[in-house]
Amino acid sequence: MTREEIKDVILEIIADIDEEAEFDQLDANAPLRDQLDLDSMDFLDIVMELRKRYKLQIPEDEYPELATLTSCVNYLEPKLKDV
Amino acid sequence: MADYQLIIIGGGLSGIAAGIRAARFGRKTLILEQHSLPGGLNSYYFRQGHLLETGLHAMTNCALPGDKRAPLNRLFRQLHLSRKQFVLREQIGSEIRFSGRKLAFANDCRLLEEEIAREFPAVIDRFRLLRREILQYDPFQPGPWRSARQFLAERLGVPLLEDMLLLPLMIYGNAEEHDMDLGQFAIMFRAVFEEGFFRPVGTMREFLELLVNQYLHFGGAIRYRCPVAKILVAHGRIQGVRLADGEELTAEAVLSTAGIPETIRLSGWDLPQDPYCGRMSFMETIALLPSTYAGGRDWQQTIIFYHTGKQLRYQRPSTFIDTSWGVICFPENFQDQIPAELRQVRVTNAANYSLWKALSTSEYLSGKEQWATASIRASEEVIGPYQHAVVYRDSFTPLTIERYTRKAHGAIYGSAVKIKDGVTPWPNLFIAGTDQGFLGIIGAMLSGITVVNRHLLQ
Repeated sequence: MTREEIKDVILEIIADIDEEAEFDQLDANAPLRDQLDLDSMDFLDIVMELRKRYKLQIPEDEYPELATLTSCVNYLEPKLKDV
Repeated sequence: MADYQLIIIGGGLSGIAAGIRAARFGRKTLILEQHSLPGGLNSYYFRQGHLLETGLHAMTNCALPGDKRAPLNRLFRQLHLSRKQFVLREQIGSEIRFSGRKLAFANDCRLLEEEIAREFPAVIDRFRLLRREILQYDPFQPGPWRSARQFLAERLGVPLLEDMLLLPLMIYGNAEEHDMDLGQFAIMFRAVFEEGFFRPVGTMREFLELLVNQYLHFGGAIRYRCPVAKILVAHGRIQGVRLADGEELTAEAVLSTAGIPETIRLSGWDLPQDPYCGRMSFMETIALLPSTYAGGRDWQQTIIFYHTGKQLRYQRPSTFIDTSWGVICFPENFQDQIPAELRQVRVTNAANYSLWKALSTSEYLSGKEQWATASIRASEEVIGPYQHAVVYRDSFTPLTIERYTRKAHGAIYGSAVKIKDGVTPWPNLFIAGTDQGFLGIIGAMLSGITVVNRHLLQ
């Protein structure tokens, strides 16, 4: 998957979790949680959805890697390169 | 391989919510419900063609779509249900009545503030500070038990007002007698006074259908009329369950929503049951009247919490029921509710399980009639006479609750001692629901969700 595709997947997952999510003003380098007003339970859903779709096991101590859209892409790029 | 990755005992709100979470993320899940309908404490039944609800007076935690942090909206996101498509009806208004004193409240806490300024002008500033303090309090931070009564007494110093504030919060979610934990008080204060009451459109049946359909949509399975007789244990782990008809089902994990005492009995858990048997149970009488019956101003209210005695005794009564305090609910009195053919009045009073349990069948039936009449009579002191206009009435007692929900001693709020992390001595048996700590419909669902998130998904 390309970086652009990974970004789209993340946004699609978030849109699926939160029907009210708005991405127009989203800063890719700022924390997703603050910008989208997500809580830790929503955040878990992003992790669970990645696991369901791509059989990705993301250990709890690596959740901070998913803080911003850019860090998500950086973290997932090597893991999803063959997808 | 086990038959299921997860077996959930109980198709009540915590069980179904837990099931939705597990099934949504691909866990092969089975819910076992002993009754022929889902809902547990918040179910429904039919009498003479009328659908009667067993639990729901109102849901707490009213919130508009868009407020992402509101518990109701968080719940919908977790269950992957559209909050935008969910139509709710807010309460019209409720009252707390203590022998001539009254406080009205609705879904905007400013009304309660105005009411306290009117009834207790000397302490309105203290109440405002108290309200702010409760909003800042984090009830989910683990900590020792703190007395809500002491907290209120130190800040308000007016026992009557303290009791008036406590009554609705205790009635809608306190398993303890006399006092409640400050954390639980803060949760209930926000749920009832800050966020307020609503009902989903329709009845509990439609709401349960929405939830069960979501669970089935994610591939979950549910079996009704399937009482669990035993939780099977071997080699320090749960192996599965045995049903009442002898069928055995294996599972990688089991989640019990049957309450701690029942889970002790099913699993052979080395714990005494008694300390976990809650003492607060209730009798409720549902009266049906023609929808044209006009009962005066009080009949426009949504819920009236009343107390006619001197000092509030939130405890198991020494008689069959205690009519000196209770709740009167008009389930039709929500905004934009379309009137049904008949209107309901529901009256709820604390009841003594042991006294009811000791009765023979015939004594039980006549006792039910006698105390239902006493309950209605007590409510007539508050809302005026209506017994003459009742076309049908039905009651349930602590025994009814115990029989249909397996909540030991009919304690609808479960044990006074909670197991907040949902953990048992076995690594793959968990508890959720009433005895895990969250109460009410919204609380029960959040309980199922958090226990699955924490122990079964990560």
